[in-house]
Amino acid sequence: MLELKRALDAKGHCLLEMPSGTGKTTTLLSLIVAYMKAHPLDLTKLVYCSRTVPEIEKVMEELRKLMNYYEKEMGMEQNILGLALSSRKNLCIHPSVSKEREGKVVDGRCYSLTASFVRARHAADDAVPICEFYEGFDAHGKEFPLPPGVYNLDDLKEYGQTKRWCPYFLARHTITHANIVVYSYHYLLDPKIAEVVSKEISKSSVVVFDEAHNIDNVCIDSMSVKITKRLLDKCSNSITILETTISNMKENDSKRLEKEYKRLVEGLRDATIARETDMALVNPVLPSEILEEAVPGTIRTAEHFVAFLKRVVEYIKTRLRVQHVVQESPAGFLRDIHTKVCIDRKPLRFTAERLASLIRTLEISDLTDFSPLVTVSHFATLVSTYTKGFTIIIEPFEDRAPTVSNPILYFSCLDSSIAIKPVFNRFQTVVITSGTLSPLDMYPKILDFHPVIMTSFTMTLARPCILPMIVSKGNDQVAMSSRYETREDTAVIRNYGNLLVEVAAAVPDGIVCFFTSYLYLETIVSSWYDQGIIDQLQRHKLLFIETQDAAETSLALINYIKACDNGRGAVLLSVARGKVSEGIDFDHHLGRAVLMFGIPYVYTQSRILRARLEYLRDQFQIRENDFLTFDAMRHAAQCLGRCMRGKTDYGIMVLADKRFSRADKRSKLPKWIQEHLKDTNCNLSTEECVQICKRWLRQMAQPFSREDQLGISLLTLEQLQSEEMQKKILQRAQGV
Amino acid sequence: MADEDETKEYRWESGYEKTWEAIKEDDDGLLESNVADLVARAKRKRAALKATGAIQLGMMRHLFVVVDASACMFLQDLKPTRFLCVLKLLEVFVHEFFDLNPISQLGILTTKMKRSEQITVLAGNQKKHIEALQQLKDLSCEGEPSLQNSLERAMNGLKNMPAHSSREILVLFGSLTTCDPGDIQKTIKSLKDNNIRVSIIGLAAEVRICREIAKKTGGTYNVLIDDYHLKELILNQVQPPAVVGSMEASLVKMGFPGGTPIVNDGTSDSSADHAPAYCLCHIESETSSLMGPNGYNCPQCGSRYCELPVECKQCGLTLVSAPHLARSYHHLFPIKPFIERVQDRETTHCFACAKPFVEAETNVYECETCNQIVCLDCDLFIREILHTCPGCASDPVTAQMKTN
Repeated sequence: MLELKRALDAKGHCLLEMPSGTGKTTTLLSLIVAYMKAHPLDLTKLVYCSRTVPEIEKVMEELRKLMNYYEKEMGMEQNILGLALSSRKNLCIHPSVSKEREGKVVDGRCYSLTASFVRARHAADDAVPICEFYEGFDAHGKEFPLPPGVYNLDDLKEYGQTKRWCPYFLARHTITHANIVVYSYHYLLDPKIAEVVSKEISKSSVVVFDEAHNIDNVCIDSMSVKITKRLLDKCSNSITILETTISNMKENDSKRLEKEYKRLVEGLRDATIARETDMALVNPVLPSEILEEAVPGTIRTAEHFVAFLKRVVEYIKTRLRVQHVVQESPAGFLRDIHTKVCIDRKPLRFTAERLASLIRTLEISDLTDFSPLVTVSHFATLVSTYTKGFTIIIEPFEDRAPTVSNPILYFSCLDSSIAIKPVFNRFQTVVITSGTLSPLDMYPKILDFHPVIMTSFTMTLARPCILPMIVSKGNDQVAMSSRYETREDTAVIRNYGNLLVEVAAAVPDGIVCFFTSYLYLETIVSSWYDQGIIDQLQRHKLLFIETQDAAETSLALINYIKACDNGRGAVLLSVARGKVSEGIDFDHHLGRAVLMFGIPYVYTQSRILRARLEYLRDQFQIRENDFLTFDAMRHAAQCLGRCMRGKTDYGIMVLADKRFSRADKRSKLPKWIQEHLKDTNCNLSTEECVQICKRWLRQMAQPFSREDQLGISLLTLEQLQSEEMQKKILQRAQGV
Repeated sequence: MADEDETKEYRWESGYEKTWEAIKEDDDGLLESNVADLVARAKRKRAALKATGAIQLGMMRHLFVVVDASACMFLQDLKPTRFLCVLKLLEVFVHEFFDLNPISQLGILTTKMKRSEQITVLAGNQKKHIEALQQLKDLSCEGEPSLQNSLERAMNGLKNMPAHSSREILVLFGSLTTCDPGDIQKTIKSLKDNNIRVSIIGLAAEVRICREIAKKTGGTYNVLIDDYHLKELILNQVQPPAVVGSMEASLVKMGFPGGTPIVNDGTSDSSADHAPAYCLCHIESETSSLMGPNGYNCPQCGSRYCELPVECKQCGLTLVSAPHLARSYHHLFPIKPFIERVQDRETTHCFACAKPFVEAETNVYECETCNQIVCLDCDLFIREILHTCPGCASDPVTAQMKTN
């Protein structure tokens, strides 16, 4: 809290690592809200970005508690408006649209009911369907702001139902004057969405990125484009549709096309004005130079533009017809496209903007069909805008199936700082926080910013409630490692199996295991099956396996939870970097132990990764190995952190790889894990590990009440005010 | 040193012991010493809870003991094996149980191979239970246990017990898994509906479902640290639990059969009562022989029993003897808890054991009525065994008030 306050005072960015379940969210919220109350001029808004919808809901719950407390203590209504924003899919209350399962379909149908020309048409002809909720909002909602309070997604929906206003647009509208906004990363980082949603957020805001250990990957994903052959085929279809619509329109309503043409001649000057007044968040896809220019003449008329698009798509198609892997820079790509199909850089840059304009003019209401074309246009704009920090990789086939031709063009962003840069530049304070951010110094480098505060906190606990251990060898003293050379060794696989069986016999309820990859998981499970280890395991617990299929995995998860709940006990085999390792908490009995089989290095043969490593080395002076280890260890820490979700929780963490005990790996674990990782627990055999587990589990099972924590990890008001305690706290704060 | 070790266990049988760690962790102020501290405090808390006086205790208890006999009971972390250790302690428990709860009944179940087996039916005869326990020692432990099956079985046995008695199940659970045929939540619910308390003692680690069962049915859940702790945990179950609300208070009809007759000199009118007869406890077993004149006759139907307390097989009357009731009496009027206070310089000796107070123990305990001060050990001893305060008893004024 102290550190956070310092960062707020300095109006700088900060990087905080706090173990999960220690009240991270509450701390952030309560301090920032208090700060907002104390200095209403310096700090006007809190933007809290989280990852998933359940996480957003959790944040809202915390906020509600905080507000209730304020109300109780201050005895009056609080003038603070907090709300959550999510996609249309989660907020729609239209009777038929909200039944749709896929987000894209909901967006498309919503657009077809609410776009301005649809509504104009409705005014002329009652038969054209529109959304009554949007109409209601448009008619009344804009004048009446939401009353102060805390609104989560359900509250918004309910409010929308009673007023018959569309909750989604209501929330979008309210963002501009709400004090606290909670939404997903993408609304801020993905330039395509940020443009629409977040551009009006004022400069004096605090932005918090929670669970931000993967923030660089999010940044990169939001700027990268992947084009497959199927996508291009769909593009060709869309272009044909465009052509027919244009020719139809020419016959019926040529005026509109002319109007559009004129507007384009005037250029995007309006946008420039908006930017000068600092109203809009800088869109990195559309650098400011573009705005000052008019759309080039070659693509101004609709037919020319469609022909132009056709050429681009055909060109990419020919590029995909390769027999070997091609890697080139955007500059090389531009030169090639110029010589082959005579397309200049300049019109390419306007593709995205021009396409959006065309679609608006043509009054195409169903956007879902056009998403492939939009992707290609984004690609064209990005490739011509950025010459640095990106690379183009064309792979004729996948590595796993070298005989099947499946050409893919990756336009991959190598520099995670590009997407996040506008966020850092725009907002006065950006807080990046997570349970696992170690090693901290890597993040400022790869995101290219200068934090004023960078701290890792540990937990104050009344009992040692995590037990990290590094198991390096089996009972037969054969070293355990997932190293490439020993990966196939049956002795290693058997030792891993024995470790799991013995731990399963000693640990109650749920155990989660993480492997380095799906491939490795499959080979190991099949050889365990041959060795009879699976049979032994099933005597103690049921076995569930995460697969790449999301539906299958969630079914496995449901049954895993069931098995843990009714006492049968279960083992879940999953993959680091998979869905399970990222989003799902295994608190209390669901995860009494986590086993990490091997170090989760990323697949180093991937060309995208190679390109990125090279770029990092050249631009930021980060050695390849450092980055790989950093990436592996943060994923390992993330997996380990799954089992520990609060002070009353306890869990065993087993790192089963010889290499974990090396200093360069060990020191990269979060501080709150390192603190409990004693030297004596760093080089254990399976049997020693099980012995320690048993003893520790018995100690942890002893009754543990609130009184035991008082004075150590919980403080009463009197204790907090006592002088002795304050000294202690001060010491700790300085020690950190 | 070596001798001491031998009495406990062989060196090669014991687990990895890192003796140097025990010392180090004391310095931390964490772990071992901390846990030991927790245990001591819990002990005291339990004792205090029991003795608050205001709560009503169940005098008539019906208790099923479920013993896990699955494969994991052969583990040797308790010596010689978990199973033998538990059986041994159960013998002590049965003895103590009937000593403290003379008009209660007890039954034993085991669970293994996903099934549950009844070893003894609910009965008040401690000899039979102890015999059965001794026979169990030869049982082989195999397969997985089934918590649900054994709870259902115990519930069926307890369901029809009179409402004024407390119904309890004590599970000694070594396994970390349970193999159940159906939804255990339903079982928990019907246990609750039937007002059955389930207490569980875990032998390995905290299992969530056990904690849930214990919590929902109002029982306790504990996990042992070592065999001494286990003994303590098991013996804690000897004390009758507080009655949970809804138990109906009712008058219970009881019979007090006459004691062992004086040698028959013909003067007694009731010579018919003491004619040799088969006793009903043993009439079904093949080895039964005609009893002599000794034994207890039911005052209602005249059936003969060789031991008390017992429920008459003919007319269903509960037969007890007066001393039994007297021993149960202290549950109804437990002594008030002693007040914990910091040791001051004035009193240097414990009133009960007359030992000087040691520096290490800072707390002493004072009786509310007689203001005598005792040490922690004596406090526990008085509460658990004596059931009477030596200070009050030796004070002529209060003692006389009591007799009056």
